[in-house]
Amino acid sequence: MRFMIIVKANEDSEAGVMPSREIMEEMGKYNEELIKAGVMLAGDGLQPSSKGARVKFTGGKHVVTDGPFVETKELLAGYWVIEVKSKDEALEWVKRIPFDEGEEIEVRQVFEVSDFPADILPPEEAAREQAWRDEQQRKAATA
Amino acid sequence: MRFLGLLRADADSEAGAPPSKELIERMGTFMEEVAKAGVLLAADGLHPSSKGLRVKYSGGKATVTDGPFTESKELVASYAVYEVKSLDEAVHWTTRFLEVLGEGECEIRPIFEASDLSPDLFSPEEAAREEAWREEMAKKASQA
Repeated sequence: MRFMIIVKANEDSEAGVMPSREIMEEMGKYNEELIKAGVMLAGDGLQPSSKGARVKFTGGKHVVTDGPFVETKELLAGYWVIEVKSKDEALEWVKRIPFDEGEEIEVRQVFEVSDFPADILPPEEAAREQAWRDEQQRKAATA
Repeated sequence: MRFLGLLRADADSEAGAPPSKELIERMGTFMEEVAKAGVLLAADGLHPSSKGLRVKYSGGKATVTDGPFTESKELVASYAVYEVKSLDEAVHWTTRFLEVLGEGECEIRPIFEASDLSPDLFSPEEAAREEAWREEMAKKASQA
């Protein structure tokens, strides 16, 4: 099973305040542990929302709004994607994230092709999905 | 540059309502187009927050709360990672995605690259360590 670990933004992340060198090192060590255990599929930090944008599409029209966005608690500051055997295993890993000062994360299970019944996702569609996922992996491996 | 695109959850996604067969076909065609354009690094849908949890870290303790979470507008329903040349190009692909979806709202956020960090914060040794685990991660992902 795959899980997305979403790190919530706070005033520091939104202000572009960088973590200390010590915290960066601790996080590097944690990521290496995830890698050694073979559970880490992705992990990145996000730049403040001031460098981002939102796109809303409704009634056939789209509206683009540039950041920053003010609802800090709704925003993200980073994420991981991990592959583990159970939600409990995911929880074991997230408890070890070197956070200790009020940080908040959300853990969400990722949909797999096998989560969809065949009448919604027929074998042909599943095969097409596998093909673009393979292409995506090739691209990611060369990025 | 890499960008994370996030689709906001709504009442349907939080209720776990499956997409229609037609939408799955349209989205499949679109995802093929995006993958062929060579701009897609990852994309996944998320189960409703009822299957998730939240953790808050403070004073050496991690406090866990089980989902569901009720503020559906704050939640994420799916994500994509794009490798493109500019924010405008990320907006372009995001808009196309929303057209295929029919309705919705996305947020686009640039991802930090090692080169965005100053060397006194992120030493060359740390950068090399990160490069090494990222290579290992890409290997793992291509076998998953």
